[in-house]
Order: sequence, then structure tokens, then C-alpha cells
Amino acid sequence: MTPPTFDASLWLIFVLVGLATTLPRASFIVLGSRVALPSLVQRALRYAPAAALAAIVVPDVLLVAGEFSPLNPKLAAAAAAAGAALLSRNPWLPFIAGMGVLLALRLGFGL
Amino acid sequence: MHTFSSPSFRAGAREGFRTFLPLSVGLIPWALVTGMSMVGIGMTPLQAMGMNVIVFAGTAQLGTLPLIAAGAPLWLIVATALALNLRFVIFSAAIAQGFRGHGSGARWFCGHLLTDGVFATCMAKMLETDDKNWRLGYYLAPSLWSWLLWQTFALTGVLAAGSIPKNWSLEFMATIALMVLLIPMAKMRPMLVAAAAGGATAVLLNGLPLKLGLFAAIFVGIGAGLAADHWQGRREGTA
Repeated sequence: MTPPTFDASLWLIFVLVGLATTLPRASFIVLGSRVALPSLVQRALRYAPAAALAAIVVPDVLLVAGEFSPLNPKLAAAAAAAGAALLSRNPWLPFIAGMGVLLALRLGFGL
Repeated sequence: MHTFSSPSFRAGAREGFRTFLPLSVGLIPWALVTGMSMVGIGMTPLQAMGMNVIVFAGTAQLGTLPLIAAGAPLWLIVATALALNLRFVIFSAAIAQGFRGHGSGARWFCGHLLTDGVFATCMAKMLETDDKNWRLGYYLAPSLWSWLLWQTFALTGVLAAGSIPKNWSLEFMATIALMVLLIPMAKMRPMLVAAAAGGATAVLLNGLPLKLGLFAAIFVGIGAGLAADHWQGRREGTA
């Protein structure tokens, strides 16, 4: 038996991330029209998902072991996936293109 | 149970389901990828399905996986999930009137099930229909269908991932999924500015302890998006 990768604190993470999902979703549905958001807050909230997604994705494809590395297999794979997402409406294609390039470079060329 | 057996609830449910069914196919690749990604970072099938049931949110699940895998501190994982979910505050405010006449139990349940697809599909008719039972059926049928699809195909992904070799780098599917979510957003100029600023800040501050750079990057991105929005509005105003 290999030791477990995660301990029981993983379930605490799930519960808190679940709360961080259900509370925003239920917020105004539960409160009704008793409260209104200021318009500046509403506009600021619109940018949070794009900022957070980019902040997770960009370092993941540009950095290798914490070092800036513009020529790495993940960046090539990300470019292929982004191209597929921009050019096609097929929901599977970005995954096929991205994973195809990544596997070809890593397994085929040993990068 | 009076509500659920009423003819108008059933009529609403039928119409909501019919409207949403073709769109719901789009959930399948997401659920499969999310299932495979959770196993990809080392979760057991039980842990993966536990997360899938408790969280029930593709973006928040996929977005927190890299942080969970890296052993990031709990508060940062939760803050990131909140940032990814803040759009729901706006959706929730926009659709709230559609639940007029319903009690807080139904509202909590419906709120928990709120997804981007159901919001986009159902909001308009939810607001303009008078019959409260019809509205509830119209919302719940596609929401419960989404839930069922999400759990079924995530489980399929979880089980399929076990039979795929480790060196296939399945965890990268989460990165691709997050990119595919980001690309349509970034077609709007201020969103693109928010994403570029957030991404650049995250790379520059990557060396900070506790992944604090990610937290800072989200704020910088929001600020840059707001600034671009303001600047664009002024230019359009003077043109």
C-alpha cells in the first residue's frame, strides 16, 4: 500500500471551498431584494474570475520549478489548446490538441 | 409536497428541461475533465467524488486543484475559490426576483444549485412569469439535471483516470480547462486587461511565500480591469 497523498484536512478544504461556492450563489436569492450592491462593487466583481483564472494559468505554463522558462512543453501545449479554443467550437478539441502536444513533447521527445 | 405535485410546477419543469437539454451536453467534457484532474493530483475516487458533491462547481474545483496539490495554505485556497465564485453574487442578485413568493428553504436549495448555464438559460422567463410554482419547476428541472450530469460524468472521469498511466500528465487538463474558461472572457477589452495584469503579477510575484503572489495578482487584475473599464468608458463618452 502506498501512503495516502492527502490527509483528513482535505475534507475541511472541500467544506470551506463548498461554502465559498454556495454562499455567493445563494446570497441574493436568499436575501431577496432587501439589499442592493453598490455599482462599483458590481463592476469590480465582474473582473475577479478573469484575474483569478489568469493568475493560476499563466505561472503554470510560463514557469518551470519557479524559473521563467518560455520554451517549455507546457507552453507549447497551452498554445495549441488556446488555438483550438479560438478556432473551433468543438468542446473536446482544446483538450485533444493540448494533451496531444504535451504528450508528444514529453513522451515522444523526452522534453 | 403540494408545490411539486401542482400542474404548473410540472409544466414549468417540462419547459425548463426542454429549453436546457441541448445546452447541457456542454457540461459533459467539463465533468469528465474535472473528474480526471482530481484523480490526476492524487485524490482517491472517494475524495474526488466527495469534492464533486460538496463543491459542485467546475471552475472552483479546477481552480483550487493546483493549490491543493501544491499544499498551499487553507486561507489562500478558500480566497481563490471565492474570487472564482464572485460572479455568482451578480447572477444571484440578477435572478433573485424569480424566487418571489418562495420560502428560505427553497431559496437556499436553489441557490446551492445555481450554475452559469441555468442562470443564462432561465433568468429572463423566471423574472417575467407570475406563477411561482411554474417558476420553481422551470428552474429546478434544468438545475437538477445539471447536477445529475455533473456527478455522473465526473464519476466516469474519476474511474477512467485510474486506468491511464501516471506519466500522461493528466493534471495539465485542469490548466487547459481553466484556459478554455478564460478565453471567451478575454475577448472583452477590460477583461483582457484584468487577465493580463493578473497573469503578469502572478509570474512576477511567484517567489513570494505562501503563494501570496496569487492573492496579490487577483487584486491587481481586478484593479486593472476597473481602470480599463473606466478609461474605455471615458473614451466612448468623449467620442
